[in-house]
Amino acid sequence: MRDLGPILRAMLRNKTGAILIAIQIAVTMTIIVNAVFIIQQRNELMARESGLDEANSFYLTSVGFADDYNPQNTTQEDLLALRALPGVVDAIQTNAVPMSGSGWSMGLQTQPGEEFDGTGVAVYMVDEHGLNTLDVELIAGRNFNQQEIRWREPAARTWPDVIIITRDMAEALFPESAIEEVVGKTVYINDDQPINIIGIIDKLQAPWVGWGSVERAMLSPEQTLFNSANYLIRTKPGQRNSLMPQIEEMLANSNKGRIIRDLTTIEDTRERSYRRHSAMIKILLIVVLTLTLVTAAGIVGLSSFTVNKRRKQIGTRRALGATKGDILRYFMLENLLISSMGIALGLALTLGLNMVLVNNFEMQRLDWYYLPFGMAVLWLLGQLAVLGPASRAAAIPPAVATRSV
Amino acid sequence: MLKMQHISKVFRTDLVATHALRDFCLEVAEGEFISVTGPSGSGKTTFLNIAGLLETFDQGQYFLDDEDISHLSDNARSRLRNEKIGFIFQSFNLIPDLNLFDNVDVPLRYRKMPASERKQRIETSLETVCLASRSKHLPSQLSGGQQQRVAIARALAGQPRFLLADEPTGNLDSAMAASVLDLLKEINAAGTTIIMVTHDPVLAEQTDRQIYVRDGQISNIASTGQLAEARLVSGA
Repeated sequence: MRDLGPILRAMLRNKTGAILIAIQIAVTMTIIVNAVFIIQQRNELMARESGLDEANSFYLTSVGFADDYNPQNTTQEDLLALRALPGVVDAIQTNAVPMSGSGWSMGLQTQPGEEFDGTGVAVYMVDEHGLNTLDVELIAGRNFNQQEIRWREPAARTWPDVIIITRDMAEALFPESAIEEVVGKTVYINDDQPINIIGIIDKLQAPWVGWGSVERAMLSPEQTLFNSANYLIRTKPGQRNSLMPQIEEMLANSNKGRIIRDLTTIEDTRERSYRRHSAMIKILLIVVLTLTLVTAAGIVGLSSFTVNKRRKQIGTRRALGATKGDILRYFMLENLLISSMGIALGLALTLGLNMVLVNNFEMQRLDWYYLPFGMAVLWLLGQLAVLGPASRAAAIPPAVATRSV
Repeated sequence: MLKMQHISKVFRTDLVATHALRDFCLEVAEGEFISVTGPSGSGKTTFLNIAGLLETFDQGQYFLDDEDISHLSDNARSRLRNEKIGFIFQSFNLIPDLNLFDNVDVPLRYRKMPASERKQRIETSLETVCLASRSKHLPSQLSGGQQQRVAIARALAGQPRFLLADEPTGNLDSAMAASVLDLLKEINAAGTTIIMVTHDPVLAEQTDRQIYVRDGQISNIASTGQLAEARLVSGA
């Protein structure tokens, strides 16, 4: 560090190159830190568990079109056949599938009356096989029994008397109560229709991955009497792919008054739901990588130019007693100073950009540890980029000092 | 203090091998002021580079204060240069972005000397060359003669055992050259050994001993008295 003062003073007399590189470092840090933060957030979003046995589950849609199509009989026959198939763990008819982007939502409130706001919740209509098919864990209370399952007409506005909700929903409705205490409590739907909570499950995501309350869901004990119905099927490990075409064919053949379509795995659904996030991550990674390379190239370029310009000076320093290590350290230290100036400016710009993103794009505030991370990356980048030119400088022989050109 | 025995240096390219020094032998005693002259390409600068540990040699032995420097590492040679040798270059070789104080400070910083001692030495050196009042000036704000004085101050600050001067007046007009030479004489009178490479025979004559180099070898050594005598004979 003994060269710090002279380097600073010399730099102040030759500001342009250093300032340009410092600005480049500041901009790079601003973009890299915010981009990495966004990537990390998106990754966390994508890593959230749906609650399902994703690797072994798929769903399909049965659409009745014949005049004599009977949704109730068809559903009963289909479920009997599906559950009896070797390799199938369980199957249900459901109005919606987690992460699929399409589903129902309602509001539940703890007190009756229009004046009270409801807490939004995703609704899954399932029978007593719901828990097993969805692979969710009952952490309090009980499952539905067969007698509680009702058939829902398309125009129905009423709801069953009992529901099962997720832990997240229980905590949202009754933040002061322990999970076990929520079982047995009454909540209200459609402002004043009472429903008794009979069970709490650990986790089940809503169909909408972008919803802020994605883990608030309820299971309603009913099956729909609509011409169009979804079947969610859970298979034994490793048997999903072979069962999918088999089941499609079986259902299509069992009832010629309907068609089977949209055969989709949960894994594909997840991939499709998060495709925008994946694309964003890829674009940001390319931006981060490109900026990093451009900045590194800028540092290498400036350092190489400086080394070539100062060959005589370096030879003179060597003649006056500088070791190769002294020359190497000189250029590394010079870069450290330029990087530090850029990083100081970059800190302010990083926080500024984050504030803009928070205010305009509903992003979260940057976690503090991203700043030291960004600083360390830029310092390291600078030092690595300058290492080559600095090594070339250190290799300049002291005899250069006595050469006339 | 400086003893070279049968030093050889060959510069090789793919096509040719140039013998810059051949079987070069020289001893310089403490307190001497010697000049090295010779035509271009004779090996003067190679001698200076080897004497100043700026370059290695292929054969022979070189003792500096009785220490054989033939097998020293690059770092050890750097340290030795820093502690024992002061350099004065033809084109001054000052660092343009540093003021005079920082320029004189350069070799002292590599010696890891305390700041207070460095400051004192820099001030004394700049006073010796009569430039103490301009310590905050940049080299570009000085005349050529003044810049060479700064270079001398930089060499003196390290209190070297000997000074190596490479054409120290080559870029100066005659008045400035005379002033620089007077300064070198004063420094020599104070006890510092000086080896000066020069083209100028008039300048060479003012040193204790003149060494004439031709084709990488010493072809003649004469003392100032002998040269004067020779000129008298020739004039007669």
